[in-house]
Parts: sequence; structure tokens; C-alpha cells
Amino acid sequence: MTSATDGAPLVEVHGVSKWFGSLVAVSDVSFDVGPGVTALLGPNGAGKSTMLRMLCGLARPSKGTVRILGHDPRTHVGVTRQVGLVPQQETVFEPLTALEFTRLSAVLHHLPDPDGAARAALATVELDPSDERRLPTYSKGMRQRVKLAQAIVHDPRLIVLDEPLTGLDPRQRAHMIELFHRLGGEGRCVVVASHVLEEVERFGSDVLVMAKGRLAASGDFREIRALMDDRPRRIRVRASAPRELAGDLLHAGVVVGARVDGQDGLVLDTDDAPGLARAIAPLARARGVSVLEVRPVDEDLEDVFRYLVER
Amino acid sequence: MSGAPVTHTASLGSPGRSSFAALYRLLLRLQVTPLRLVGIAALGSLAILLGLLARGDEDALRATTEVALGYGLGIVLPLATVWLATSSVGDLIEDRLLVYLWLKPVPRWQLPAAAVLATVTVVVPLVAVPLVATALVAGTTELIGALVLASVLAVVAYAGLFVAAGLWLRRALWWSLLYILVWENGLARAVEGAARLSIASYAQSLVADAADVEIAYADRLPVASVVVPLAVGLAGFALATIRYRRAEID
Repeated sequence: MTSATDGAPLVEVHGVSKWFGSLVAVSDVSFDVGPGVTALLGPNGAGKSTMLRMLCGLARPSKGTVRILGHDPRTHVGVTRQVGLVPQQETVFEPLTALEFTRLSAVLHHLPDPDGAARAALATVELDPSDERRLPTYSKGMRQRVKLAQAIVHDPRLIVLDEPLTGLDPRQRAHMIELFHRLGGEGRCVVVASHVLEEVERFGSDVLVMAKGRLAASGDFREIRALMDDRPRRIRVRASAPRELAGDLLHAGVVVGARVDGQDGLVLDTDDAPGLARAIAPLARARGVSVLEVRPVDEDLEDVFRYLVER
Repeated sequence: MSGAPVTHTASLGSPGRSSFAALYRLLLRLQVTPLRLVGIAALGSLAILLGLLARGDEDALRATTEVALGYGLGIVLPLATVWLATSSVGDLIEDRLLVYLWLKPVPRWQLPAAAVLATVTVVVPLVAVPLVATALVAGTTELIGALVLASVLAVVAYAGLFVAAGLWLRRALWWSLLYILVWENGLARAVEGAARLSIASYAQSLVADAADVEIAYADRLPVASVVVPLAVGLAGFALATIRYRRAEID
């Protein structure tokens, strides 16, 4: 996908699969990731978290290899110096304050000034290091930011974030996204997993799309977004004379298939949804047909991903 | 990260020691909850009450020894140890917190070692102090040294074993309780062969020797009474380390 400044990608994933008994969580996934922000997009259950766990060395691939800076993160403990992870789970060490939690991470990374590094990391995520409240009293968004602080306290080259914007308000989201871009812009490799398309749109240009455990697409977000937008759509229309309207739409070339459904129903397949949207009203008006309803049948994200996998 | 004055250079002191100390302090804080402290202290204070009753016995030394061995070393100590040791790493797994410790450049042996040490730190005072108090109120001060030594050795052995159980087994607390009830307090008190594989019998032998009282299945050699619990604790720690090293972290 992208390359590090020295020419080698920071993260190399080759033919990785992961199964739990008969359940295949990740199937034959390969990609490289370099500096900058890369989004890992996919619906819930697509295998994103499992992929991220393997990326960090937390889980062993059943097949294939993962390399961070050329090393196996599973066996090379030293690689963890270069990795910061914000896991998806909300749990944190309950007796600790934000400063203690972040300082713990700094101490375990053997930083020379753990206290100073922890305070700086907390300031970076806009949290008060002198806040003496324990973590369970924090809001979800504040806990997310503490988790990010402990992940970046040691200044890692690879930062992995699993659904990091969950629970954040719009202002915090904007700040976090800006922070991801800043970290990526400084040459770090930032991998952000999300199941929210609009969120990913704001992360940046590189995207990996996972669905059903497979890598469905990878590359520039705008190309993938266009692919998603250009996919065949199924549209349900209710009209006073569906059969006549279907004929006109087929004749105009804006639909590739049409099926009358009941008295006033029409199910249309189209490769050109914007063209259909433009054509349907004038054609109906010209024929004197009343259009009662136009709605997409398959607009949920799951279907978009399914299309990308099956295409 | 701009604004964060950190580097990748390790500190010049002893990073291994500082990370171990940090893990130890963390586990201590996680283990010590008011419920646990009160629960274990209440169990221990019962031993003192039994010691008071033993004082009125014709053979106070024998009666105290039996209280200390049967209740103190046989029930309170393993229960307290199992409660803390299985939860030390087991709770981290259950709460999905292990990820914050595993993904650090820290030798894998340090977490199980810190868990064993934290368990010993909490349980030994909570169990040994009531046992010493029991000996004091019963007027059998000659048992104090043996009680303290036996408590420390038994806690080390159980802590190693149950920290490993916390890493290897689901529902480790219940399996460990079953072990204590069925094996340590059941079969090992009825069958000589089973007693040889019982941690309690080695700890009890030390106290029985000091009291010069014969207790069934508590007649191990003094050297074995010291070496075997230490070896069990070490083996448990080794098993825990192997498991932690190979674990897939959620």
C-alpha cells in the first residue's frame, strides 16, 4: 500500500489466516502499511480486531506471516517498543488515575522520565494529568483518550487503534482525527480500525476494507468510495402505473432490470443510480404516472462490503 | 508525538527491576480490596477464638497445634491464597486488561513472578498474624517460629500453583477450591500416598515437629518440608510463565 521512507514498509502482512476451530476469522489477507494514516474499514465481525491483534503480536496467525520492522511481533519482544495499541475494550485498571495508568505504560517501556512522558501524553490528548479521580469515574470519551495516551507515551512508530472514536463527542472526534493525521504526518504508521464509513472518510486516503474475514479492497479511499458508489443498486419504487414506468426506464437505459411487485410496486436494478435519480421524475411526469415512493433496498453498509467481497 | 519529551532509550538504572516493581505494585493494588481483606481477616480471627478455647484444654500444646494445622494451615491459608492468587492474573484475563501488560518490552516471567510475590505479601501477614496470636493466647509460644515458617512456605507453594491455575484454567477459582476441599482436606487426610502429594502435609509437618506432637500424615522430614513447598511454588511459577509466554491475548 505505502512504503516507509527507507523503502521498506513498517508492517508486512502476507497470506495471513486465523481460525478458531471451524470458524475462520481472517482468511488469506496480505497487505503492507507504511507511514501515515491507514484505515481498516469493515462491518462488525469482519475480522478487523483479530487482524489488529495479529498485527501487534497478541495473537498468532494460523497461517501466514506478520512482520513489524522486519520482525515477528509475536516472538520479538523488543518490537513492542515500537508499537502502541488502543484496544477496543473499555476496561481499564480501576484503582488507577489517568496519570498512573499512563505512567505505568511509560515505566514498562523503560522510559527515562516516565512521569514527564505520561504528563506530556495526557496533555496531547487534552486530559489533565493532575486529575486525581480514578478511571472508572471518567466518561467513555475520556477513557478512550487515556487509552490513547498510554499507547503513545513511548513515542512508537506503529500506532494501532481499534474503534478509537467510540464514545467521543464531535469536537473530541475532530481533535482525535487531527491528532491521527499529525502522528501520521510525523512519519508514524497509524492504523485505525472502524466500521463507520463516514469516520474513515475523514481519516485519510489509504484504506483497507475487510469483510467476512477477507481483504475486500485496498488503496486510495476515493477510489474505493467510488467503487462503492458505482456498485449495482436495487431500488424499490411505488407508482400508480409501475409497468409503464418500468418500460420507460429500461428504454432510457438507466436500469438493467425491472420487476413489477404487486399492484403499485416496482423493483429496479441499476448500475447508474445517479442517472436513475435524474431520469425517474421527468419520465413519470411525461407519462402522467404518480411516483409515491423511491427507496434503496440494499443501502446498509453490510451490503456495500458484501458487494466488494463478491465483485 | 509533538510535545511529549520521550525517547526510545531505556533508563540507565535497572529497567528490569523498575518494570517488575511496577507490575508488583499494580497487582497489589488490584488484589487488595476491602472485601478480600475483611474476608480473610475474619477467617483468621476465628483461629484466635479457637486458640482461646484450646487454652482451656488439658493438653494445650496439642490442642493449639491441631487448631493451627487443621483450621489455620488446612483451611484459612489455602482459601486466602486461592482467592488472591487465582484472581491476580485471572482477573486481568477476564477483564481483558492483560493487553496493557503483554504489549510491553518486559520479560514474560515478570508478571507471574509479581503475581506470586504480591499474593505472598498480602496473604502471609493476614494468615500468619492470627496464627501467631492463636499461639500467644493459647500460651504455646514455642510454636510461633514454626507457624510463621510453615505459613510462608505453604503460601509460596499455593501461590505458584494457583497463579498458574489462573492462567491455564477457566473458572480457576472453582477448580482450585475443589482441589483444596477434595484433595488437600479430603484424600490427603485419609490416604498416605495422597498426603505425600499434599502441600498442607509438608507445612503441617514443620509445626508438628516443633510441637513434638504426632499428627496423622504430617510426618515429613524437615528438609522435605522446606524444599517441597518451595519446589512446588517454583514449578507453578514456571508453568505460569510458559502459559503467559504462549498466551493469545484478547
